[in-house]
Amino acid sequence: MDIPWAKIHGAATHLPLALAGCSWLFDAAGFALARRSTGPQLNVVGYWTMLLAGLGTFPAVASGLLLTKGEVLGRDLVLFHHLFVWPAFALLVGLATWRAIVGATAAPRVFGYYLAVGFIAAVLVAGAGYWGGEMLLAN
Amino acid sequence: MNREWKALGIALCASAVSLSGMFGFAQVLRNKARATSHEQPTNETWPLWQPAPAPEVIAAGGKLFLNSCAHCHGADARGDEGPDLHDLQMSDRHIVNVIKNGFKGEMPSFAKKHSDAEIAKLLAYLRSLKNESPPVNDQ
Repeated sequence: MDIPWAKIHGAATHLPLALAGCSWLFDAAGFALARRSTGPQLNVVGYWTMLLAGLGTFPAVASGLLLTKGEVLGRDLVLFHHLFVWPAFALLVGLATWRAIVGATAAPRVFGYYLAVGFIAAVLVAGAGYWGGEMLLAN
Repeated sequence: MNREWKALGIALCASAVSLSGMFGFAQVLRNKARATSHEQPTNETWPLWQPAPAPEVIAAGGKLFLNSCAHCHGADARGDEGPDLHDLQMSDRHIVNVIKNGFKGEMPSFAKKHSDAEIAKLLAYLRSLKNESPPVNDQ
């Protein structure tokens, strides 16, 4: 039986794609509202969405590798897609691991650094998603 | 602060291990694909003489192929999810129909994505794909 890896990859990638951006938004809002009661609650949402995004990267990347028969870089649009995928994957796994250990909140200065790196990760994930979409839709 | 630094070290390790694991997985998939993806060439040859298309038309078709077809048929058109496209034993009209209409549940339609002129370039590229090794005759 042929497994439809293209469909599985498409389904799997949307989880980390959406959650990475959501996590950053919740954390940024929690950081901005740290002195209000809602701030820490928003950080808890950011914490769990980041953990899920980190976990979600594994099926997303693995299904992509199965789809391309192990292509790590490739050419043209596939290459552009992969240039975003690998740094995004490494950053998301790192951020999720860091967050899992540190918890929902951290010292303001450290959390500021986390948000800066998280923003880069969210942009890279969005870039990977954009080039993935270009492979399907653009000429 | 100490906890955050320890977490950073563990996060960097987790990223490195995850990336290494995925690259290793990719290598396994590439080795497996190399061993199984090439089909045996056929003994049949296309009987009708046709003028060879210009090299630049074939090159343009190759570019379109990489953008639209390579992620299923492989960058070398030797087949991945979709079949090997070398030495296609079918008419030009049939190939064009397949590109335009696809196969339900197997291959999408490219009628809206590519103009007739682009499909003609794709066809020229597909016709240029020949098996390099002589046919294997088991009889």
